[in-house]
Amino acid sequence: MASISLLNPKAEFARAAQALAINISAAKGLQDVMRTNLGPKGTVKMLVSGAGDIKITKDGNVLLHDMQIQHPTASMIARASTAQDDSTGDGTTTTVLLIGELLKQADIYLSEGLHPRIMTEGFEKARDKALEVLEKVKLPVEINKKNLMEIANTSLRTKVHPQLADLLTEVCVDAVLCIANEKQQPVDLHMVELMEMQHKTDTDTQLVRGLVMDHGARHPDMPKRLENAYILTANVSLEYEKAEVNSGFFYKTATEREAFVRAERDFIDQRVKKVIELKRAVCDGTDKSFVLINQKGIDPISLDALAKEGILALRRAKRRNMERLALACGGTAMNSFDDLQEEHLGYAGTVYEHVLGENKFTFVEDCKNPLSVTILIKGPNKHTITQIKDAIRDGLRAINNTIADKALVPGAGAFEVRAYNELAQFKDTIKGKARLAVQAFADALLIIPKTLAINSGYDAQDTIVKLTVEDRLSPELIGIDLATGEPMKPTDLGVYDNYIVKKQILNSCSIIASNLLLVDEVMRAGMTSLKG
Amino acid sequence: MEHTREIITLQFGTYANYVGAHFWNQQEANFVYDRDDNDGGQVAEEELPHNDVLYREGRNEYNQTTYTPRLLTVDVGGTLGHLPMVGELYGNYLPLLHEQTTDDVLQRTKESAEQSKLNTDGELDVLQQPTAAISEYQQDLLKNQVNLVDKDYKLAESCNSWADYLYARYHPRSFNVLPGLMRQADVQALGTHAAGVELWQSVDFNEEFCDRIRLYAEECDGLQGFQLLFDIDDGFSGMASKCLEHLNDEYSRTNLALPLHYPRNVGYAQADPRTAHNIRVVNSVLSYGHLSDQASMFTPLSTLSTIWRNTTLQSRHLPGLKWQVDNLYQSSAVLAAFVDTATLGYRLRQTPETLSRFCQRICPAGRTMTAAAMSLPLGMQHEQQDLIDYLDANANGELLSQLSPGCEPGSSHLLQMIVARGIPLTRLKRPVAEAGEQLRMAAYRCDSVSQMLQLYYQCAYHGSLTHATATTLPLKTQLPFPYEIFDANISSNGFRLLGERESGTRVTSAPALAALQNSSKLGEHLDALHAQTHRVQLAKLQSYSQAALERDEYETAVDKLLEFRDNYEDSHYL
Repeated sequence: MASISLLNPKAEFARAAQALAINISAAKGLQDVMRTNLGPKGTVKMLVSGAGDIKITKDGNVLLHDMQIQHPTASMIARASTAQDDSTGDGTTTTVLLIGELLKQADIYLSEGLHPRIMTEGFEKARDKALEVLEKVKLPVEINKKNLMEIANTSLRTKVHPQLADLLTEVCVDAVLCIANEKQQPVDLHMVELMEMQHKTDTDTQLVRGLVMDHGARHPDMPKRLENAYILTANVSLEYEKAEVNSGFFYKTATEREAFVRAERDFIDQRVKKVIELKRAVCDGTDKSFVLINQKGIDPISLDALAKEGILALRRAKRRNMERLALACGGTAMNSFDDLQEEHLGYAGTVYEHVLGENKFTFVEDCKNPLSVTILIKGPNKHTITQIKDAIRDGLRAINNTIADKALVPGAGAFEVRAYNELAQFKDTIKGKARLAVQAFADALLIIPKTLAINSGYDAQDTIVKLTVEDRLSPELIGIDLATGEPMKPTDLGVYDNYIVKKQILNSCSIIASNLLLVDEVMRAGMTSLKG
Repeated sequence: MEHTREIITLQFGTYANYVGAHFWNQQEANFVYDRDDNDGGQVAEEELPHNDVLYREGRNEYNQTTYTPRLLTVDVGGTLGHLPMVGELYGNYLPLLHEQTTDDVLQRTKESAEQSKLNTDGELDVLQQPTAAISEYQQDLLKNQVNLVDKDYKLAESCNSWADYLYARYHPRSFNVLPGLMRQADVQALGTHAAGVELWQSVDFNEEFCDRIRLYAEECDGLQGFQLLFDIDDGFSGMASKCLEHLNDEYSRTNLALPLHYPRNVGYAQADPRTAHNIRVVNSVLSYGHLSDQASMFTPLSTLSTIWRNTTLQSRHLPGLKWQVDNLYQSSAVLAAFVDTATLGYRLRQTPETLSRFCQRICPAGRTMTAAAMSLPLGMQHEQQDLIDYLDANANGELLSQLSPGCEPGSSHLLQMIVARGIPLTRLKRPVAEAGEQLRMAAYRCDSVSQMLQLYYQCAYHGSLTHATATTLPLKTQLPFPYEIFDANISSNGFRLLGERESGTRVTSAPALAALQNSSKLGEHLDALHAQTHRVQLAKLQSYSQAALERDEYETAVDKLLEFRDNYEDSHYL
């Protein structure tokens, strides 16, 4: 009987072998759910909630978030892999698979009497060796469009259909290259705006070299399309309301009140007038036009005055769009209209409005040298858009990782096969039972190429034998060609993974697996139950 | 100004959504679709609420016009029940009503997804969670067969969540479900103020939520301000406090906050009743610290008579009503009736009142906390009594019952905003020929309900100031309002009968009186809260030390509470 049950008869507990069995079965269960997702040939899952919400996904991270996991061990693994996603944006499914497989392999030796502590020590050694291999096989790359395309494509193909993946790859790489500059690294991905439009089909998703905003003009007379536009970005209230709240009026007669109101109104009118003056100064007599984008509100009277001048005015812009606008069009975001100059203005070739049901979109395009861009996601329905959005996020992260690492690792299971072979040799240099653990670690790594093969409809053992043999003969890394099931060189086909992702996976998986192995007692007893 | 003066409503927390659901049901019950219709014709145009203040017009994907509340709700997972996250008006989900069609639609959606370029090899794994239970009322509502007259849906017993009795339909933007938090039967999933603050600050939630507020605000030509309903007993209080801060930073408009207390003692993870009590006190202290700074006015609401140290769960009692004390569905209806009636003060058509003036009038000198009081149903007798007689019979001024826990504003030196509804002009007084006794009363010169109430309170309350508003629009108490809470001696139009109403009939509407009151006596409510803080040992509250609440922050909040209490110190203001 466990000591806890003396203190609390209600506590639930499981000891030693039983505790381990619980952990291992949880890890296996999670692995079973996720394994079909791995790789470009993995299946897509459609989740239908109890209330009829639809979600279609192949992304391990999304799946883990949506499955409400109750089992404590499973949720611990799930948390490790979502942490993986948070830090690198990829490798969620791999993490789950690898943890599950490590435990499964360990179980074989443990059931024969190996102590978990020796197992974990062996895992540690094996992990260090694997990291060494990773260091050796990573390929330093130049940051150019071709390399980035390859890495983004590998990542995106595991999330969406190849045809769509190819399109998104182009979009993502162009977006990052647009905003990247030498000085600032890594690239600030916030400067890529993701805007969704439920419209047309998913293959209409495109890159807009400028900004798309999710609101439009609120005055019927404002122009719907402007060319050669000056852009004034501002954070200045053009609403009369504001004064009413901050200070009460104290007045004796109705006329006095009127006077107060007029004075307050006048204050706002002055601001509007300043904008109009500037517009007249820079636009009159030329073919230029004028757009005002304001973070604060603009009331109908001010809108009316602006509309009369042919100015397109947008109110309540996103806070982050202020920064983006300055980068996309040039100019500065103004906090007051006191000293308004032409140099504060940005420029855009075209500004136009697009109305879709109750939503309006304003496109600011043809900017001179945009350092901020928008990816416009289109799809016929909400779940398609969500799926594309998740994929794009991961694609952008993969590109950004590459820029930060300046290195890539050949994909398609190539690294795992090489690490397996190296570990098999390394095993012989280890004394004692720990070498069994190294063997277990090596075997576990093979789950990745195995699953890739199975998901594409090939025989797992066949593939593994072919790959390991080929790998020993070749100095270059060998991965599996999912189209034929034969060994190939990933570098030839342009299949790459992020270095940081692989590194993170090796680290976190071995730690989580070790922790789970060392658990020899599981108990559940809350404060409330202690009170009995 | 001619343009609409919009208000955005925010609801944080499960109980807030219960109250909110009743509130929006009430709004829709008051829509008049056809002026020639008997029902709508009775109430004059200017006495109806101005719906555009709270509602927005939209257009869905099928090009149908929608009219939905300008509303944002936040709740934990599992409370939406059968409601899809994307709302029911804008498509993008599988309708659940008929078994076969669901499968059909599922099949079709699956096929279309397979045909589109998204999928790899034409194969799609479908993982379907068990269909959510859908209440009988909602089923009938979807089939358009709701039986208002004699079917008993037993909502009080069967209702699991506010979604079960929601008649109103929300915009997809309105739904926000907290990621990873599931509703639990006995403990609050989001327990502490600090946890709520943390969630508000998390990047994903914050960005998405603030953006949704912005999208509503962008549509408004003359945004007046915000109404916030939130649960003060759990972590949603922290979220609401932070949200208030954001609203003030970004929009600087009027904020009317309504903190709601659960009608029962809520539990928290890893807490015995004593710790739970302390957590509740800390949550309140921290919220009051924020509210006194940020809100233009706040009114704590609960059907319980006191909140802190209410071990017996002593409930408030409204004459003529009887509800199960800890029933969320019924108690929230009472609170919603108050919210609806009191806020009519600034929502009627052609009213010159704005939210900001409304708040300023009853919150002098920084006394931003006010107390709620209501009379539902108004105790007037069915045929025999007119308003003038009724007021005469209750000359001591005890018409209203308090709905703010631990607040007794007293009957002298108080400021109040009172709204009367559902008293037809014909029931004000009798014509001169039949007046008899009534002629002797001073109030006989009054020609309107509001005038008479004003006079009444001038006499009844010493040294007080009353703003009275009246509308003939009664409170609609048909389903999904819990009509069963009315006593048997209330007639179907809500007046008191000498006998009992005909069995089998239900109360369909009721007159009501609601007031927001402010007096120096409300300081006692703050004293009571401050007294509770002596018992709290912050270090022992595990859930707070986990959420990394700084000791300083708590102490500042306690100081702020005392400072705020000073505003209620003496009554020289009146």
